[in-house]
Amino acid sequence: MLKHEVVVVGAGLAGQRAALAAIEAGREVAVFSKLHPLRSHSGAAQGGINAAVGKEDSVDTHIYDTVKGSDYLGDQDAIEFFCQAAGPTVVEMEHFGTIFNRGEDGSLARRPFGGAGFPRTIYAADRTGLALLQALWERLGTEEFTLYEEWDLTSLVVRDGAVQGIVAFDRRKGDFAQVAAKAVVMATGPFGRVYGRTTNAHSCTGDGVAAAYAAGAALKDMEFVQFHPTALMESGILITEGARGEGGILKNALGERMMAKYAPHVFDLASRDVVSRAIVTEVLEGRGFPGDYVHLELMHLGKEKIESRLQEICDFTRNFAGIDPVTQPIPVFPAQHYMMGGISTDIHGATTLRGLFAAGEAACVSIHGANRLGGNSLLETLVFGKEAGIAAAAYAVSATAPSLPEGGLDVATAPIRAWSRRTEGEDPSVLRTEMQRVMDRYVGIYRNESDLLEGIRRVRELKKRFAQIRVVDQSPVYNLNLSDALEVGHMLELAEAIVVGAYARTESRGAHARRDYPVRDDARWMKHTLAVRGPDGPKLSYSPVAYTRWEPKERVY
Amino acid sequence: MVEATVHATFDVYRFEPGTDATPRYDRYVLDLPPHTPVLSALLKIRAEIDPSLSLRYSCRSAICGSCAMQINSKSRLACEAPIGPELARDGRIVIEPMRNQPVLRDLVVDQDPFWQNYRKIEPHLILDPRHPMPEGRENPMTPAQVDRFKETPRCIACAACYSACPAVEADPAFPGPMALAKLYRFVVDPRDTARQDRLVRIQTDGLWLCLRCHLCTEACPKDVRPSERIRDLKEMAIAAQGATEPGSRHALAFKENIRDRGPLNEMKLARQSMGLTELVAQLPQGIRIWRKKPELLRAPHAIEGDDEVEKIYDALDDHRSSEDLP
Repeated sequence: MLKHEVVVVGAGLAGQRAALAAIEAGREVAVFSKLHPLRSHSGAAQGGINAAVGKEDSVDTHIYDTVKGSDYLGDQDAIEFFCQAAGPTVVEMEHFGTIFNRGEDGSLARRPFGGAGFPRTIYAADRTGLALLQALWERLGTEEFTLYEEWDLTSLVVRDGAVQGIVAFDRRKGDFAQVAAKAVVMATGPFGRVYGRTTNAHSCTGDGVAAAYAAGAALKDMEFVQFHPTALMESGILITEGARGEGGILKNALGERMMAKYAPHVFDLASRDVVSRAIVTEVLEGRGFPGDYVHLELMHLGKEKIESRLQEICDFTRNFAGIDPVTQPIPVFPAQHYMMGGISTDIHGATTLRGLFAAGEAACVSIHGANRLGGNSLLETLVFGKEAGIAAAAYAVSATAPSLPEGGLDVATAPIRAWSRRTEGEDPSVLRTEMQRVMDRYVGIYRNESDLLEGIRRVRELKKRFAQIRVVDQSPVYNLNLSDALEVGHMLELAEAIVVGAYARTESRGAHARRDYPVRDDARWMKHTLAVRGPDGPKLSYSPVAYTRWEPKERVY
Repeated sequence: MVEATVHATFDVYRFEPGTDATPRYDRYVLDLPPHTPVLSALLKIRAEIDPSLSLRYSCRSAICGSCAMQINSKSRLACEAPIGPELARDGRIVIEPMRNQPVLRDLVVDQDPFWQNYRKIEPHLILDPRHPMPEGRENPMTPAQVDRFKETPRCIACAACYSACPAVEADPAFPGPMALAKLYRFVVDPRDTARQDRLVRIQTDGLWLCLRCHLCTEACPKDVRPSERIRDLKEMAIAAQGATEPGSRHALAFKENIRDRGPLNEMKLARQSMGLTELVAQLPQGIRIWRKKPELLRAPHAIEGDDEVEKIYDALDDHRSSEDLP
């Protein structure tokens, strides 16, 4: 039987940083990932990482911008901790070897980003995530730990209210295994693939979040889903906010600089929820281009700036849309991009389940509240990945030896093995496509009661059908049909938590925009949604938002 | 938007070692818009026709490096290869796993040797404890110093270069283009303190096994240009240590040979590249060549206008010395 002190699931930035922290704390560590760590979705982050290191900038301004960006749903104590850790975190990553862009004086270059009072986004061209991922993986490679590459997570093992380990599936060999662990860190990233139109990678299926939820951990603020304003029209591929940070502007079909109406002070650099709603409104009111999109124009920035600062964007638009951003506008429309919600944790990554920790996009601390600012997610992975690693290591020292139930593996995997024995049943990909259509249609940027009710009904129907799916592929080696089924099962649970949370929250706040309740309602709704899995779906409860210094105000950009 | 579709024929390599006796090609025919990426087509095949087709993929935007495969015999990322041009050129699309890596199933290859080669070059900053990093702040680095990395930070480790490389196929001692481009990235890093050691070590660790065919540069989806960085490493290695290896001596001898007379003098080249023992060891090979093509081993006459060749070299030397090595 496999046995480790600390098991980290997910090997993107948060998982790797957690692993490094636990190793540095002297613990024996194993990392499980369904992708090679360098293929993690952290590497797709483009724009940059925020740290108020400029002379004119201050940590307090970063805190304020983040609080305001969160539409006052972020916990202010957590945000203070987070912003204070920003400078040291970026410096540490530079010391690990990250190749950042530089100013003429040799210091870290910074670019303006949406919702930020100063240019505070430190960057590596438009591939900052990749730069950080390479440096952290190369730093982690100098340490001793066990990597389980291309393993799927199926579930957590819990006994007497405490985590004892995980059940995982080795894609290469086709074996299920129980892995005993004193502490588990979930860092499996987002679950954007519950939507069809998303910037997220195919692998972003929330396996760790679903496993935590199934094991009894509370999820927080699941209804807050960020839609990135500028995704390529057809493919949903991300065009970084850095494109607007460098001076790119949005234009409607009348040729108007459309953001002047919605954000008269900062125009195109308003917060993402604001810009996404503006684009949808322009299209709904008939000022979009035929095919329902608007233009992102970079041409006026000039060839040199576009090709040096937005190198990957040039490749993306040329290769994926056949458009040269130097001479042509880019057709864009919002796409699901980031999940503010996730496994509920405190500042140190502790969840509501003993022995389970979480960090990164899989977790919800909450620092992003109802809307995340660009440049804060890369920072989050590193700051809270480290915290979760430290906390998991400390817990592992005092935890009793994990005990896995006799025959537990057979019990845990029986329903999964049943999929492969069926002679008829739907393919998991059919349900995945239908779920994505339901979420795109009923739980999108603008929401209302009747849509959300229909969404709940349809997701629950899909859950019923999921119980009867069939896995056709019988091979033990790289059986993606089986991995698909695991992922779809995970996503359906998370989709339900999103839509149920959205239905219950009868206000508009940040990324959660209800047509039938268009105003923020601080008296009733200044609180976090907590979802715990029950026999009939999520059971909701609410918890207070932590305040320190910033009184809620109306949010104007 | 209704778009015209094309009739697309895919012949996809299918193989499960241990179960299948031999590989086969399964044919799938789909009607798709011509700009559809190959990856989207393969995912459509998985979702609608055959869920047992196995491949690696994730980001679908050319940044995770998962979906490199052979598309009509070229190693490239399936997510950014539209089907239209492939069909227009070849009439069908043949999908095969990458080369130089054993097949695990269908389009999934064993990348462990690829990653081991990357590990071998010590891909992390090597620091000297006598020169600690500045406390609480970043190391200064000018934009000019950042430019010295060239395009190497763009590498997504997709292994398309490794798949395309004949030196990898010929000699397992060759670390491969990606690992060498990564080595370059650390050699030019002003924060790294092991530049000299790295350059000396790579001289005997496979640097000179590169065949200079540039297929890696052609295959790279991110324009990292590994062959150009390997060329830089060779120059830096000679500058750091001198021409101590048969490979580096061969390179210098080649240059002097041409400068001298125009054409190559194979005998002289062999003498200058190899030491006496190696020369003796190569004698049987030399005799075989002499029997088949004796003219190869004859000293060539100087070509007409050989002084012009020398002038070209002088001009190149002037240009080179005015432009520092990275």
